[in-house]
Amino acid sequence: MIVLTPLKTFKFPVTAECINPDVFQGKTVAEIAALPVFEGNRQKTLGELFKIEQAEGDNPSITINGDASEVRRIGYGMKTGEIVVNGNAGMHLGEKMAGGRIVVNGNAGQWTGSSMKKGLIEIHGNASDYLASPYRGSTDGMKGGKIVVDGDVGADSGCYLSGGLIKIKGSNTGQFLGYHMSDGTIHVEKNAASRLGANMTGGKIVVSGTVEEMMPTFTIDSVKPKVKIDEAETATGPFYVFLGDLAENGTGKIFASKPNNPNLKAYEKYL
Amino acid sequence: MTELLIKNGFVFDPLNKVNGEKMDIAVKNGKIVEKVNEHKAKIIDAAGLTVMPGGVDIHTHIAGGEVNTGRMVRPEDHVKDAVRKTALTRSGTGYSIPSTFVTGYRYSQMGYTTVMNPSMAPLEAKHTHEELNDIPLLDKATYPLIGDWWFVLEYLRKGDLEECARHVAWMLQTTKGYAIKIVNPGGLESWGFGRNVHSIDDQVPNFCITPREIMVGLAKVNKMLNLPHTIHLHTNNLGLPGNYTTTLDTMKALESVPSDGKPNMHITHLQFSSFGGDGWGNMRSAAEEISKYINTHSHVTADMGQVIFTDTTTMTADGPFEYTLYQLSGHKWVNSDVETETSGGIIPFHYKKNNAVNATQWSIALELALLIEDPWKIYMTTDHPNGGPFFAYPKIIAWLTSRKARMATLKKCHKKAQKKSLLPSIKRELSLYELAIVTRAGQAKALGLTNKGHLGVGADADIAIYDVNPETTDIARKYKAVRKAFGNAAYTIKDGRVVVKDGEVVQNVDGRTIWLDVQTAEPCRIDEQMKNKFREYWSVDYANYPVYDHYVKVKDPITIQASV
Amino acid sequence: MSIVQSVTCPICGCLCDDIELTIENNEVVKVKNGCAICEAKFLGYRGHHRIKTPLIRKDGKLVPVSMDEAVHAAAEVLANANYPILYGWSSTSSEAQRIGVELTEEVGGVMDNTAVVCHGPSILGVQEVGIPTCTLGQIRHRADLIIYWGCDPWSAHPRHLERYTSFAEGRFEKSEWKAYMQKLKAQAGKKKVQSATRSGLIKTQPPRASSCTLPGAPPSALSKRGRKLIVIDVRKSMSAEMADFFIQVEPNKDYELMQAIRVLIKDGELDVDKVAGVPVEYLKEVADALVNCEFGVIFFGMGLTQTAGKFRNIEVAISLVRDLNMRTKFLIMPMRGHFNVTGANVVSAWQSGYPYGVDFSLGYPRYNPGETTCMDVLIKDEHDATLVIAADPGANFPKKAVQNMVKHPLIVIDPHMNATAMLGDIVFPAAFVGIEVEGTAYRMDHVPLPLKKVVEPPEGIYSDEEILRRILEEVRIIKKQKAQQKVEAT
Ligand code: SF4
Ligand SMILES: [Zn+2]
Repeated sequence: MIVLTPLKTFKFPVTAECINPDVFQGKTVAEIAALPVFEGNRQKTLGELFKIEQAEGDNPSITINGDASEVRRIGYGMKTGEIVVNGNAGMHLGEKMAGGRIVVNGNAGQWTGSSMKKGLIEIHGNASDYLASPYRGSTDGMKGGKIVVDGDVGADSGCYLSGGLIKIKGSNTGQFLGYHMSDGTIHVEKNAASRLGANMTGGKIVVSGTVEEMMPTFTIDSVKPKVKIDEAETATGPFYVFLGDLAENGTGKIFASKPNNPNLKAYEKYL
Repeated sequence: MTELLIKNGFVFDPLNKVNGEKMDIAVKNGKIVEKVNEHKAKIIDAAGLTVMPGGVDIHTHIAGGEVNTGRMVRPEDHVKDAVRKTALTRSGTGYSIPSTFVTGYRYSQMGYTTVMNPSMAPLEAKHTHEELNDIPLLDKATYPLIGDWWFVLEYLRKGDLEECARHVAWMLQTTKGYAIKIVNPGGLESWGFGRNVHSIDDQVPNFCITPREIMVGLAKVNKMLNLPHTIHLHTNNLGLPGNYTTTLDTMKALESVPSDGKPNMHITHLQFSSFGGDGWGNMRSAAEEISKYINTHSHVTADMGQVIFTDTTTMTADGPFEYTLYQLSGHKWVNSDVETETSGGIIPFHYKKNNAVNATQWSIALELALLIEDPWKIYMTTDHPNGGPFFAYPKIIAWLTSRKARMATLKKCHKKAQKKSLLPSIKRELSLYELAIVTRAGQAKALGLTNKGHLGVGADADIAIYDVNPETTDIARKYKAVRKAFGNAAYTIKDGRVVVKDGEVVQNVDGRTIWLDVQTAEPCRIDEQMKNKFREYWSVDYANYPVYDHYVKVKDPITIQASV
Repeated sequence: MSIVQSVTCPICGCLCDDIELTIENNEVVKVKNGCAICEAKFLGYRGHHRIKTPLIRKDGKLVPVSMDEAVHAAAEVLANANYPILYGWSSTSSEAQRIGVELTEEVGGVMDNTAVVCHGPSILGVQEVGIPTCTLGQIRHRADLIIYWGCDPWSAHPRHLERYTSFAEGRFEKSEWKAYMQKLKAQAGKKKVQSATRSGLIKTQPPRASSCTLPGAPPSALSKRGRKLIVIDVRKSMSAEMADFFIQVEPNKDYELMQAIRVLIKDGELDVDKVAGVPVEYLKEVADALVNCEFGVIFFGMGLTQTAGKFRNIEVAISLVRDLNMRTKFLIMPMRGHFNVTGANVVSAWQSGYPYGVDFSLGYPRYNPGETTCMDVLIKDEHDATLVIAADPGANFPKKAVQNMVKHPLIVIDPHMNATAMLGDIVFPAAFVGIEVEGTAYRMDHVPLPLKKVVEPPEGIYSDEEILRRILEEVRIIKKQKAQQKVEAT
């Protein structure tokens, strides 16, 4: 196991996709210290920015102790192993991740888990905007794996989701959660902001708390007592089930808790 | 300027009928000369290497409004292909629509020295020229889109060919253009109101003229103006199943324009115009029918429009066709109609081997290139980026020169496409001599660029040297080595200067912009008339329309005396 | 005295190129064809607050220095910066923008233009779904349904209606000017009409006409013949007053409204009675009007790009237009503000592949708004130097961004002593592009137009292009020296 400790508070963005268990695997501490990174527009080595230590065990894992909120692309495309960030993590954490596990004991920046395919990301603080969402102009959303956020998530999260599960335990989400998703599941344990599931064509969003506002382009389908989240978990309702987004001829489903959303009662007349 | 002597290479110079002879090429002041002083000249030892004229591309979308909109809408295309700045070269992005500098570098790295930007809305001509200035290492020219220009429609309808010719001359001069580009004639004007034409004898709404009349009329105008290239045509119904009959009708229609055995039309990206069948389900190759016609007629040249299996971006002035692609794919869609002149559209497109239609398209282009017997009639292009990015050319070279290479790819294609492909029955493999024709000599000849595409005395010293030894390499078997060699020129020489060595840019020079300065007997009357019409037809002032000389960094106008 | 014709107005994205100027003693004394904003600029540009010489801040005060000293100081700042921002670019020529990209690449900085605070979201929307659009003349000739959404052309692009849309004469569609005047006559009485005609439409406010119907009577106006004009906005703007039909949308609810119309034009049904404060029955009539036109167009402005939903608003507007093309011809266009903000995007795209917010710090262009725009960088204070050219972020950026900007060296290139220049550490006076120097600009529909030089710039004042070129050369010299010193040291 390798332990990285930032040598200072970073002012400039640090681009360090080399912080990846697959890259560290089989390298000595000296070799790891020589890996190239960028600090602002200057090329540096990892060793110039972090104290690097070998710790117990030769499992392929990396621990970062300290604030890494300016460190971008940690675990970019990682396939195996584990990264633990004891502090905040910067943008593009675990982007294009294909396996392994990332744990953040702090907050995570934008585009965390962007376009990920497999693996697990646990964020014990908040996640910023574009959680699991693809790069600009791309429709390659998260395809598989799991993301669990203990806190809130920012806007435009779960865009173009086509597989996997995102669980949000905090009390708020940003707008446009699950935008244009086609498959997969998003479970909001508490409350969801407006424009939920806009343009979704498939998949399901389950909101156990309140839905700030339902898009007018969703139509009520039924009331269900419970809904399956994944193999291990079922959310209990009852839930209003909405279908949409009609604007995209979508057949996505939004499950909105019936007891927590009395304002949706008006829809019952269509049932 | 330094003198250069390229010694002992195997020279392929089809325009001068040199077929792999071991000889020296001498260069002085940017031109090929008889000989140079061997003691003073810089010597390039080309022993064991293949020497050809610099590559010429007759049709590649590299600059201008449409191309740049393509760049803007596809960050996801650029992000996977970033190009670093070096001490010598600018940074940029590549993939299907490379930034301007990267376009220059990548062409040059393949030994290309002259390229033609085939699609320019006249109203946006300044933009095209600004971008061409930023494409280094290449000579360039651009074709204005005038097949649906209101003036052309109106004068041809009146039957006033002379007046039409004078306007076309004015347009070439005004936009600093090189050839008459016609795209889906009549269809683009119709698209202004969301309609299209479906045969060459359909009426264009509001203008009472047919595509046939437009094409025949402009071919005659082309002749009256003595333009070096023929009309450059993107046919009606392009990209639709069964369109080969339209293509045959089009070629037959042009038989009526006398051409004394010479070409009077160039059909571009012929692959997209050679579809059989009557729907996507039974779409098939019509390469046999098309090549049979071309083999028995002398008035047609064409380029391939090869499809490459990759994620690319389609872009054409054929707005209605791009709309069809949008309906088929649901992808992001750009439409860009241009007042009184033309239209345009963009759709990202991923050609896949396991898609029967895509794989058939891939096969059609190769079938055409191989079934059309005379290599002087068909040239290698991808219609960059429509069929795929230009830097895939080495792949096409391998498919053309090696049956083994193309069968290896065919084997991975959709079963239905494999079964229908004519490729298994085609034995032909192009020689290096023929390859030099389809990648440079033929294109230069079709363009009427007399200083390009050959290595005779007086030609521009644009030279490509590849690490292929024709004496020891069987190119049909060693196709991977051929692919590598043509992707990374051992040397690219532009105007007598070595700009690329071993596939790396070693010197940065500007290329020239070539255009036609067409002299007609009475140009002034046009001017007055145009001034009056301007407020009515366009949303810009007459004085602000032309591409003034300062818009072109390195100027290379060719003066043409018209017969009107 | 001389008269210069076909001058391009270097102010808004309409880029009217029919301005006629009368010049006397190297001064513009008369402006013909321009709108009021245009007149004011050409007649008043040399007025107050013109910077006269290069300035450098010494002991807290800006003091005059030589051009060479300022160039060297600016180059030192940029060459040594670890993450500089080069921002602005919208009110200068494409020729200057080209050098701007080269300079940013050379110093490994972030190049961003004012799109970041206006139509950046439009670009993001376009990158999601594309954009069916056209040049403005196409609309003039063909459009029979014109919609302005979240914008007020009458105030911000005064000649837009007259040159390109409702009041322009086209080949297939005629100007609605006469009909509009008749309507005014009927509604506002003769006197006001006379005064409006006398003083020229463009320079006066149109008399208040209650042409609009919501909330109230049903939209019968939508069945009229000829060109129809619909305005959709959160308030009844001047343009809305002139419209055949006005839809007042609840603030920040445009997204829902458009999404609902998308369902209605596909003959779908909604489970709600009202969307964004508009009864669905009205929306159905609007949907009918959209589907039944021959050629429709939506122009949109900051009312869409800068309200809740931002780029998603644009994305859905474009999606609506995409859907409409299944039924008829429909196009859409952003109302770009500064005269060459489009050019800034165009030039940046052809040189780097990306239209704004381009980060060269890794030696190659990267683009990711949310990460790489100057706003993202400024708010997080990641930069260590800023160059501002042809823009005034000091006046219109959020306070925090400005505070962070002035924490580090600030280089400003501008003709005026604007808010940003007053905060600057190194200030270059620049000549006015399109008045004192020539160049090229791109209209909102991407049509390039030449900018003219009609008068000489004041003594010792250079063009943006020239200033940037000199800084770039100096940066290269400094970098070479530094590299040499490094070699000698080892
Ligand atoms: S509308 Fe805009 S470009 Fe036209 S004259 Fe007025 S300010 Fe200038
Ligand atoms: Zn083409």
